[in-house]
Amino acid sequence: MRKYLVQRLLIAIPTIVGVTVLIFVAMRVLPGDPLSAISGEGGGTYVLSQEQLQAARKSLGLDRPYVVQYLDWVGDILRGDLGKSFWRGEPIREVIARRAPITGQIALMAVILSWIIGLPVGLIGALWRNSWTDYAFRLVVTLFMAIPSFWVGLMIVLSLVLTLTWRPPLTIAYLWDDPVRNLQMTAGPALALGVALAAMMARITRSSVLEVLGEDYVRTARAKGLRERIVVWRHALVNAMLPILTVTGTALGALLGGSVAVERAFGVPGLGLALVFAVAERDWMLIQNLVLLYGVIFIFVNLVVDVSYGWFDPRIRYQ
Amino acid sequence: MSQRRLNGSDKVNRRRFLKTAAGTTAGAALTAWSLKHAKPAKAAVRSDRARAAEPNPKRGGVLKWAGPAEVAHFDVHQGAFRFILGQMYNNLVRFNPADGLKTIIPDLAESWKTSPDGKTYSFKLRDGVKFHDGTPFSSADVVATFSRIIFPPAGMASIYKDQFAAVAKVEAIDRLNVRFILKEPQPYFLELFTPSSMIIYSKKALDENNQDLRKVIAPGTGAFMFKERKVAEKWVMVRNPTYWDPEIPYVDGLEMLHIPAWTDRGTAVLTGQADYSPNVSLETHAEGLKRKDIVGTVRYPGEFNSYQVFINNERKPFNDPRVRRAINLAVSRQNLIKAFGTQEPIMLTRWMSHASEFASTLKEIETIPGYRADKTADIAEAKKLMADAGVADGIKNVDFVSASVAPHAEILAPAFQDELKRTLGIETKIRVMERALLIEELKKGTFDMMVNTEFRSPIGDPGPGWEMCLKTGGSLNFSRYANAEFDKLLKQINSETNKAKRKQLFAHGMTVLDQTAPLYLIGFTDHLPMWRNTVKGHNSEARGFSELGRVDTFWLDR
Repeated sequence: MRKYLVQRLLIAIPTIVGVTVLIFVAMRVLPGDPLSAISGEGGGTYVLSQEQLQAARKSLGLDRPYVVQYLDWVGDILRGDLGKSFWRGEPIREVIARRAPITGQIALMAVILSWIIGLPVGLIGALWRNSWTDYAFRLVVTLFMAIPSFWVGLMIVLSLVLTLTWRPPLTIAYLWDDPVRNLQMTAGPALALGVALAAMMARITRSSVLEVLGEDYVRTARAKGLRERIVVWRHALVNAMLPILTVTGTALGALLGGSVAVERAFGVPGLGLALVFAVAERDWMLIQNLVLLYGVIFIFVNLVVDVSYGWFDPRIRYQ
Repeated sequence: MSQRRLNGSDKVNRRRFLKTAAGTTAGAALTAWSLKHAKPAKAAVRSDRARAAEPNPKRGGVLKWAGPAEVAHFDVHQGAFRFILGQMYNNLVRFNPADGLKTIIPDLAESWKTSPDGKTYSFKLRDGVKFHDGTPFSSADVVATFSRIIFPPAGMASIYKDQFAAVAKVEAIDRLNVRFILKEPQPYFLELFTPSSMIIYSKKALDENNQDLRKVIAPGTGAFMFKERKVAEKWVMVRNPTYWDPEIPYVDGLEMLHIPAWTDRGTAVLTGQADYSPNVSLETHAEGLKRKDIVGTVRYPGEFNSYQVFINNERKPFNDPRVRRAINLAVSRQNLIKAFGTQEPIMLTRWMSHASEFASTLKEIETIPGYRADKTADIAEAKKLMADAGVADGIKNVDFVSASVAPHAEILAPAFQDELKRTLGIETKIRVMERALLIEELKKGTFDMMVNTEFRSPIGDPGPGWEMCLKTGGSLNFSRYANAEFDKLLKQINSETNKAKRKQLFAHGMTVLDQTAPLYLIGFTDHLPMWRNTVKGHNSEARGFSELGRVDTFWLDR
């Protein structure tokens, strides 16, 4: 197991290096200079002269060769220094520390919600296959898979404002500081992301359980005279968990990406919203580090999912 | 505490208990009575100082402002966002909030006078003013501030330098008197000091930071002091207890919430998460109009914002003024304004904001060729001009650039494209790109046409705006308009001190612009502020134009 973990971590290294190169090159290749103008609402744009532009570039270290900039960035990351936002001047580590708990919480709540809704719906669909209940569930599942999460988010905000004259808070409240405000802030985005994921989860659960229900060991369990509940919970569902887990792992990574649009819809100041504005402002350093963070999280979550396979299926051995 | 207990004097006996209980009850009753009958702050009496327009403003509370509350750095004169930082500073002069920003009143300058030739402006400064760090304010601070703006040190991006191009010298006469000597008279010179960007920094702060305040929040003299900044979330400020004007601010503190999206600002005010927003979205504004029991809202001219299509005057066939004039005649502004009506209110305007005292009235504009609703005669004239210019059959493959933001790329650009094709046979290809990239295109001039928002003036007076956007070589002259006759006229406009004569000159200027059509101005916009009914002192209903600026006269009626 330890050997397997070390192997997986070693494989992750070139993946992460690849991610860093890709992000760095992408930010330099994509058109757009963060320094060509200074803008402000109501104040319009002030066009910088070439001389001013050069001075600004120099002050940010952008006048150095790309290789030097890349190596400096990677070196700083290895030392735990993520640098500072070009525009805000704020250390990126602080941006992440302040906003990541909100984004992480939303993603986690969305996953939990998707399990709470998706697993029973999928299971019921599988057990009462081709019944009216199954048809109704499938219809709802297809519907929610088709609707984009940010649209659900916008509808939630709109209906809350118009019917209750209330909207989720727009400034950060942490769970440990102000649980009520925190839940008011995160419940909506978690719901918007969670229902789409729940639909996917229900679909996977249904097909996975259906497949397992046809296996020999399920037939054997029934032949032994086990009660149907035990057959379903202990034999069918546990063995159907592998694809569900895989989807959950992938979804958690996708949720981080999805959070960008949903945080924008709700105005939640999480990492996703920071990334939206960083892209608009061409804040290269912030974009690089946030995308890298998303990449690392994705790789890590997938590793955790792979390792957890063994817990659900003892036949899987790590070598 | 233990010592007091030990000596026995604090033992609670029946008499002491009754005394304490009676005292507490009486105290509570007195507090309740005094709260109920609390004397409001003194009524506004002085017209030369910033005051709330309403009598008897109440004191206390924290005002929650929703808007773009983020800055790239802290140096306003190098482009930092002035509407946030400006709360902590003063100008020399400002517009009067009590009369709807219509007259100029003293701020740190107690009084001022202009020499008969209009070339010297002398300011008498307020005595006894201190910066938040305790440093006394004097003429040296004014000289240091404006010398840095007008004659910036190497490497400093002084974005307001061009506005003060007429200044030859800034000098201190003594500790409390300072004067600006101009190369030539400038009728709007005093107004240049009114925007919230024209704050006074302390010489000490400038010297200590090598003339660069981008990384430090320099102490100001303003009504509010910095308390906390949560990046891209909010700024928290508190009342300056030793402010030189003891009457204001009325509120104890200020929370400036960073809410970039107009819709979010509107919903924040509607739901009570914020007290005031200077500009909300159209749909939330409409919702606000239905909820007058909880919010107030109005619309006033947004002095600085316009939509236009830059036409590259250096590219054929648009280098021919007849072609540009034809476009200005044929394309219906009414149609474009209507098409964009779901996004932002654009007003029918002619070469300057409708807030300007020099602007043509709407009634006048509606009768002018190119601006009037009935296009029959205008399109016929436009076709004739196109024929005279040798492009009677229209123009093909016109490169038309638009920002990728939906209102530009999906409404304005296609609407303009359709008008051009339908009326003049001009066929454009829309090239959509990210907004951040437009400035590079504008600087290089690599476009035929571009939808944009950069035609504006830094102050209400359109003079400096025309200098920047229409004068040959102007810093924002992205159409590359070059007209010696207009430049000469502009010089005359911007040195004429007689208002009536100036109005005539502006009118002549607008006629020249109509004929030579440097660009296609769709129109200037209105702003849509919204506030909780408990917020007073902003006088939005009376405002002649949009000013996101200082909130030191706001008060909360709670």
